Formats: sequence, structure tokens, C-alpha cells
Amino acid sequence: MSQGTQTRPSPDIGRGLPASLRKLTILKGRLGERSPDTWRAALLVAIAYYVGAKVGFAFTFEPHPISTLWLPNALLLAALLLSPASSWWVLLAAALPAHLAAELQSGVPLVMVLGWFASNCTEALIGAACIRRFCAAPLRFDSFRDVGVFLIFGSLLGPLLSSFLDAALVTAIGWGEGAYWQLVRLRFLSNVLAALIVVPFVLTWAAGGIAAVRGAPARHRAEALALSCCLIAVGIAIFDRQEAGPSTAPALLYAPLPFLLWAAVRFGTRGASTAILAMVLLAIWGATHGQGPFVTSSPEENARSVQFFLIAMSVPILLLAAAMEERRKAIGALELSEERLATAFRSSPDPMMIVRLSDGVLLDANARWEAMFGYTLEEAMGRSAADLALYANDEDRRHSFERIAKYGGIRDFEVEVRDRTGSVRETVLAAETCEVGGVACFIGTLHDVTAQRGAEREAKEQRAQLTHLTRVALLGQLSGALAHELNQPLTAILSNAQAALHFLAANRVDPDELREILGDIVSENQRASEVIRRLRALFKRGETQFQPLDANDLVREALDLAHGDLAARNIDITTELPSGLPAVRGDRVQVQQVLLNLLVNACEAMSQNEAGERKLTISTQALTDGGVRVSVADNGPGIPEDRQTRLFEPFFTTKPQGLGLGLSISRAIVTAHGGRLWSTNNPRRGTTFHVSLPRHAGALP
Amino acid sequence: MTPAVIPAVIPTGGTVFLVDDDPGVLKALTRLLRVSGREVRAFASPQAFLSEHDPAAPGCLVLDVAMPLRSGLEVQQDLAASGVERAVVFISGQGDVPTSVRAMKAGAVDFLTKPFDDSQLLAAVQAAIERDDVMRRTRAGRQAVERKLATLTSRERQVLEHLVAGRLNKHIAAALGTVEKTIKVHRGRIMHKMGATSLVGLVRMADLAGIRPAPALSPRD
Repeated sequence: MSQGTQTRPSPDIGRGLPASLRKLTILKGRLGERSPDTWRAALLVAIAYYVGAKVGFAFTFEPHPISTLWLPNALLLAALLLSPASSWWVLLAAALPAHLAAELQSGVPLVMVLGWFASNCTEALIGAACIRRFCAAPLRFDSFRDVGVFLIFGSLLGPLLSSFLDAALVTAIGWGEGAYWQLVRLRFLSNVLAALIVVPFVLTWAAGGIAAVRGAPARHRAEALALSCCLIAVGIAIFDRQEAGPSTAPALLYAPLPFLLWAAVRFGTRGASTAILAMVLLAIWGATHGQGPFVTSSPEENARSVQFFLIAMSVPILLLAAAMEERRKAIGALELSEERLATAFRSSPDPMMIVRLSDGVLLDANARWEAMFGYTLEEAMGRSAADLALYANDEDRRHSFERIAKYGGIRDFEVEVRDRTGSVRETVLAAETCEVGGVACFIGTLHDVTAQRGAEREAKEQRAQLTHLTRVALLGQLSGALAHELNQPLTAILSNAQAALHFLAANRVDPDELREILGDIVSENQRASEVIRRLRALFKRGETQFQPLDANDLVREALDLAHGDLAARNIDITTELPSGLPAVRGDRVQVQQVLLNLLVNACEAMSQNEAGERKLTISTQALTDGGVRVSVADNGPGIPEDRQTRLFEPFFTTKPQGLGLGLSISRAIVTAHGGRLWSTNNPRRGTTFHVSLPRHAGALP
Repeated sequence: MTPAVIPAVIPTGGTVFLVDDDPGVLKALTRLLRVSGREVRAFASPQAFLSEHDPAAPGCLVLDVAMPLRSGLEVQQDLAASGVERAVVFISGQGDVPTSVRAMKAGAVDFLTKPFDDSQLLAAVQAAIERDDVMRRTRAGRQAVERKLATLTSRERQVLEHLVAGRLNKHIAAALGTVEKTIKVHRGRIMHKMGATSLVGLVRMADLAGIRPAPALSPRD
């Protein structure tokens, strides 16, 4: 291990004593941090490498330096794949003593031994690094992608590249016999085979293999045992009991195939790789000892044939195993999702149903559905929604079916349904099309919102009542002003009529004058009627009706209504009402209510001002978003900042007699209009209240 | 002849100054008052009225209470502050009691709540014109007496004060330390200067001008 520490390349070493000392300290620290697992893995690698090398030597044909089945490189690759990249150097370092021990025993020169170690490490590193690059997750050999990446990089590229290096080293050092390209070919095949049989085996067993065996049911274990026995028996019979020669039957080569397929189909990659390993060991052993169904001249050539054969067999078996794993996972996922869907259907808190789209026939429904409609599933199944009269409104039924068919589903569709007894409930329907046995259906959920809608209606009704009551209260506050507004035309009418009587009495009848008087009476009467009409509209409790409104008109009307009050309080009114404003969308009466409320508030705010110092400014302004803002500015004492927002809270009031509802209701009205109501303090004195109202899509009538 | 005394004749002349910010009402009332034989000057705002008002013209003011900028009550105060005496009839669309009480206390002739009958208005206007006439005449009589008083010497003035107190010539002579004959001469001059034909007429004139009787004489008298 200490050797590994020192040989680890580091750009800092050699730059100076303090730097290298620091680096060494860091390295020691890192070593200290490594978990016991790393050391155990290193020990395992060393042992496995040594044993693998010994097995490899057993399969080596003199005088060629290349083994038929060289396991250490594949073992090294498997070990690297199982470990984090940060501890790779530990594992490689651990392999060195094992390598030296195994190689030096066989009398190979030290230079060659080290050269081989370098090429072996290169192979493992190339494979591991490439696989890590393309597979972020640990290799599980349970998908085509995993197997493909492993085949390309682990079993093909790594062995190929390192074989060039290996052959070059052997040729350069001059060890053994053989031409360069022959050496490349021999080493390549040997390492491909090793990688194919070792890496999947080690990796699949390392990933919970023992636990899987322990947890497997007895039947499964028995099957595995039977498969193992059969495979070993056939392997021995085919590869190790038959003398190779002209009399051997090559067709027998395929005898193990059914068992390999059995392993791949029933036991996945783990089973397949185990079976392949067993078969390969038996076949190579037989081939190197001149046994087996190979008609060749020498045991060495025999072994090469076996290599080809085994590589050709292992790859499809591994791919098949991966395909089986993928399929198993997909089926598992499908079953899980179906089971989830069924559970969701049965246990849904909302009524659910599956309905045939073409004719609305009910195919399935859950218990909640039965509870809502009062039909049992047996009664309702096979009958259509129209037949059962489930929809209170047949138009809803047709409409919803059309939309489901057209858009493949429906969301938040409000529909009234009728149960068996005929009572109607309000629901929200969500549905999605699906296919059941090739027939277009939809699966729908009904959410009962009857109670919710009832509460909403009640709240809305209460809001409307409150709005009306505050309006009536506001008009009560203005009663003096309103009396004034009526008394003015009445005075004019009475005086005009009496003036006419005086003319008649005095026998001084001038028809022109009389006509003028009567004309004035008529117009004053109309004026009085207009006041009454407006008052009736304000007193009435009508439905909210949004219509296009001219903000300037609204302001003028409000000023007319409050005129008496404003005059009695000697308020100087300034209006800034530019023409050409866009129409706003609103309920005339409710917007009047808001404006009157603001006017009355402004008047009261200025009640402590000196006479002649009570200035009210009402202005309208077009907004950039197309709406209109109405601003009511007074020059009263103003409102402290901390009270500005509280003003709009219900029951917050600054007046001794105030109820504190006016502004909160006004804000509710404006908000329901899609506008805003807020207040600002004026730079000099007083407060301005602003109402913004959204634009009406159409023009003014 | 008693020029300082309020005449029994009812004045029919005099201008009605009418102020109301409501054009319809202003027009109707103008018409009604004119057909009833009144001369009317109508104003749509207190400002217009105040700038054109001639205090010397006889007549009354019919004033709306609720007007922007300056209420009727404030116009009444403005007139009083500038020393103008003018009989006022208030008309209001909102006849609230506190306002009417304030108006009457400030010397209004009447306070009418709209809408009102023509007889109410015409009666109030008549009363106001009469009040205005009385005020005007009273003022004119007082001013005439004051002018005459100014022609008296200080001795004659002293004698007048004793005469007003109802004293005999000899008592006055004693109080002033002179003889009865002298007092008689003074008395004749006073009667002549003041244009009085009887002692009663002289006393009434002195009363109108606010001449106070001389204090009581010493006990020895």
C-alpha cells in the first residue's frame, strides 16, 4: 500500500519541501479517512488477482506467453466498477504485489512482469473509465443500454487497446515467441472472453446476489439447483469426456444452449452470467486438455475455437438476459400502475365511473358512485346515462360528451346530476378518455360541490344584502341633501305655476310668457323625476349588472345627488373630467354608491376646516391598461400613514357616529369589479381616495 | 307735523334682491315676484350680489341658505359687518331648526322652507320691505334730529336735557344758576332750532336722538 501512496502522481511533489510535506500530510489524511471497506476490497482484489493469474497460467500454452483465459484483468475491471473512482489507485496498487507474486514464480523477467502489469491496469482503467462516463449508475446488466455499454467498452475497447500495448511490450522485451499481430489477436480474444464471463458474474452477484438467493422461494431455488446440475452434467459430458478428433460431432456444441437460455429467461443476468461462467470454465478446461467436440489439430487451436464459440454464445445470452430483465421490469411497472389505478378507482373519495363514449353506457363505477346515485353497480351497469337520467340537464350531458370526445378529456365541468330519488346535486366533472377492450370510453370523477356552492351562494347573498344596507344607510346620511335636490325643482314648479295664476288673475295673459312658464314647469318636473329615478335605483336591491359606463357621467350624477349636502357644507368643488375617456365596466348603482361614499367621507373630513377652506377635487384619468381612475381629493386633516390600510377594514372608523362599513364595502364592490380602491395623503394637506375601474370591452352605448 | 314718527302708510316700492344658486328656482321666484308687482334683482351667487348691492336702495333681500363657497348666513354676517342694514328673508331646501334659529337671531325677517306657497313668500317679502322701510325711516329721522341737535349751543343742550326730564322753567333756572326769564329765551330758541311745535314733539325728537334726561336736582330744590 505504501508503494501505491508514493507512486501516485502528483504535480505538487518536487516543488519544494514544505509543499511536498503538506501533500504527504494530505495523502495520509486521505488514507486515514478510507473506510475499512476499501482495505477489505483491496485485500480481496489482491487475492482474486493472484488466484485469477494462477488459473490463467493453467490455461496457458507454452511457448506462447498468452493465456487462453486470463482472468486477472477482468477481475480488476469488475473491482474498479464496484468502487468509487477515488479509490481505484488503492485497488490497482493492491493488485501489484499479487501480480509480482504470481508472475515471478513462473520465472518471467521483472521488466516483462511490470510491463504486463501496466497493460493489465490500462485495460481495466480504459474499460472502467468509459463505462463510468456513459453509465452514471452502477452497471446492473438489466437493460440493453447497460449490456451494450459494457460490451463496447469493457469487453471490446479495453482489451483491444491494451492488447496493442501488451504485444508491443512483449515484442520489445523479446519474451516468448510469436509475431506482433498474432500476439495482439491472442491476447485480445483471451481478454474479451474473460471480461464477458467475469464482469457480469461479479457485478450481478455483488449487487445483492446472496440476499436474492436467501430471499428466493424454495421452488425457485430448486429450479436453480436443477439447472446447475443439468448444465454441469451436460458441460462435463460434452466438453470434458470426449476426445477431440475427427470422430467428434460439432453439433454437440449446442447441447448447453438450452440450459443457457433457461438461465437467461428464468434467472436473469445473474443466472445467465453464472451459467456462462460455468460452461466456459468447463469448455476451456476440456479444450486445453484436448477434450471436447472440436475437430482441430492441436489443443491450442482447439482452445482458440472454444474462445470464438464461447464469445459468440455469451454475447446473445447476455443480451437476452438483459431483454428479459427489461421486460420483467416493464411488466412489473405496468402491473403496479394497473393495481394503483384500480385501488384509486375503488377507494376514491369521489364518485368515479367508466362510461362508453359512443352511447354513454356505464361499464364500471365505484362504491361512492353507487352511494351518490342510489343505484347498485349491477342495476346501473350496461345502462346509459340518458336512460338512468343521471344528468339533470340533458344539454349538459351532450355537451360534456362532445367535449370529452373532441379534446380527449374535460376538467372542472360543472354539471348537475340527479340521483335515483330525483334530487339534484351540483358536481364538478373531470374525465379522460381511455380504451377498454378496444372500445373508446372515458373514466370520470364527479366531485360533489353542492354544499360548497350553497355556502358560496349564501355568502354572496349576504354580501349583496350588506352592500344594499350600507347603501341605504349612506342615502340616509344624505337624506337632507336628497330632500334639497327634490325641493329645488318643486319650488321652481310651484312658483312658476303660481306666477302663471297671477298673470291670469291680473288678466294680463301673454301667451309667450305663459308658454315659457309651462315649459319651465315641465323641465323642472323632469328634473325632479330624474332625482327620484336615481334614488329608486339606489334604494333598490337589484342584481349586479355589469355594463359599459362613462366615468365622467357617474361623477356628475354623484355630485348632483350630493349637491345639497355639499352646498350646505359650503364645499368648493373642482372637477377635472377630461373627455374621451374609455368606457369602464361596472354596475351603475354600485359604482355610484362608492363615489357617494367617498364624497360624503370627504365632506366629513373637511367639517373642521374654516368656511371657504373646504376644497374638494374630483378628477378622472385614463389609465395605461385601458381602465379609468377616479380620484376624490379633500383638504381635510389627512389620515396618518399607519391608519391608511386599516381604513378599509370592516368596523374601523374615525367618526364618532360611523359604523365603519362604508369603505370596506366600497372596497369589496370595487374589487368585485376587478378594480382597486386605495388612499394616499396629499402633499400639502388632506387625503385622496382613488378608484380604478377596468375597461369595458365594448364602446359606450 | 311729526317727521320722526313711523308713518302709517304701507310702502309698496323697494327692490327685492334675490340670491339663489339654483337657476330654475331663481328664474321662477323672479317671475313670481315680478308678476306680484315687485321690482326684482336676481343674483346666481353671493359674490355677484355682494359686488353689485346698493345699500342705499330701499327693498329687501331674499337669500338662499345652502350655496357653495358662501352660505346665506355668512352673507348676512358680511352685510352686518360692513354696517349695512337690510331686511333678510331666508329660503332653504333643508329647513333644519338650528340654522333657522341662527338666522332669526341674526335678525332675519323670516325663514321659509322650500317649497313654499306664493302667499308665504309675498307676505314675507312685504314684511321685510316694511321692516326695511321702518329701519330706513328711523335712520333718516334720527339723522335729521341729530343734524338739528348739532345747531344747539351747549347751554341750550343743557336746558334741553332738563326739559326732557320734565322740569319747570324756574327749577331749571335754579339748577343752572340763572333766572327763569333766561330759561324762557333758551327754550324759545330750542323750539325754533329743533322745529318743534310742542314740548311733546321736542321730547320725542330728543328721545329718538338718544338724549338722556339731566340727573335729579339737589335736595334743596
